[in-house]
Amino acid sequence: MPDLVKILALIAFILVFVWLAFFKKDNSVELGVDNQIDVTPTQIESIKEIGEWEFLSISNEELVDTIRKGLFSDDHLVRIYYGTLRLGINMHQVKPRWLTVQGDTVTAVLPKVGLLDKDFIDEARTKSFYESGRWQAKDREALYKKAYRQMLNRCLTPANLQTAQENAEAQFRKMMLSMGYKNVQISFEQ
Amino acid sequence: MLFCACNEGKEQTVELSGYQSIDTVPMLVMQVQKCSKLYTSEFKVHKIVTHDDVVRLRGSVMRQDYNIKIPLGDRKIAIPMDATLKAYIDFSQFSDKNIERQGDKITVLLPDPKVTMTSSKIDQKNVRHYVAFARANFSDAEMTDYEQQGRAAIIQSIPDLGIIDIAKENAARVLVPMLTQLGYREENITIAFRKEFNQNNIMRLLEQ
Repeated sequence: MPDLVKILALIAFILVFVWLAFFKKDNSVELGVDNQIDVTPTQIESIKEIGEWEFLSISNEELVDTIRKGLFSDDHLVRIYYGTLRLGINMHQVKPRWLTVQGDTVTAVLPKVGLLDKDFIDEARTKSFYESGRWQAKDREALYKKAYRQMLNRCLTPANLQTAQENAEAQFRKMMLSMGYKNVQISFEQ
Repeated sequence: MLFCACNEGKEQTVELSGYQSIDTVPMLVMQVQKCSKLYTSEFKVHKIVTHDDVVRLRGSVMRQDYNIKIPLGDRKIAIPMDATLKAYIDFSQFSDKNIERQGDKITVLLPDPKVTMTSSKIDQKNVRHYVAFARANFSDAEMTDYEQQGRAAIIQSIPDLGIIDIAKENAARVLVPMLTQLGYREENITIAFRKEFNQNNIMRLLEQ
């Protein structure tokens, strides 16, 4: 008996809903969800003093997908990852007396140019392109690692490192000239 | 459990319990840009993005607005994420106009520090979601949308984190040793910033 009452109440609710929605011009009805996230705090976990001088920025976006073979159809997950590889020199790696002055000549021995930060993927920017089937955390983690490897292979090339080194030399020379030195000699650690 | 299926006379074995992932279609877009940015401070931040997904009936009846929670079942999700923010000084426009010298004293006038998010990572293993029986699971598109909103919320909170002041201090900590190598005595070096030049003498801040 209580079940019958519930069913009748539900039918009555649906009828009223339909009547309000479709037969009364002054009324409006909308069924939906709020897609906004809740307000939560952002916590600083650590603060570190760094001295990373970036001379080449390589912004990259990578379309990565995975397929799960099934009996009747395959499941797909396709995501677009974004990352920026920053090449330059770490000023915390300079040797003692890396910068010397003799008259109007300054000599600088800069650390080797390299990847400044191994964490370069902005995973929170990731776009979901296509999804079919149900996917787990480990699948998304595997896609992240694949995007990471691809970005590293494509962007951390000898050509880009050479371009970064040439720009480092040009920028550092410009800075020293602007400080009044007439001759600037720059070399890089091997 | 293994099932066998025949297709055009050829026997195919498909594993259903475990699965084999095949990766295809790699594609990339790259943008390479020369720059000169000195990153002086790194901030690791953590945020738990939460979303309470409630179905609501909204509208108006007899010119009276209503907003009713429908008992179709809730969905909740919590996404922990970590991000790295870095403050930098842009040296691309640096010139002799940024240097002021009076005898053995030198003042380096720097542009304002800027802050950028250099990386972020979703803690996929610790994502928690609760979905009522009558509701569908969170899709990948929904999850990435919440993550993007979380990223935007972190960027919006940057002014409240006091990053700029720390970045100014750290810029001096990187540049002053360089200038002492060039022969300037530490007490004769002033690192200043374009805005608030009179108030924000960074060497004075370091002495406190």
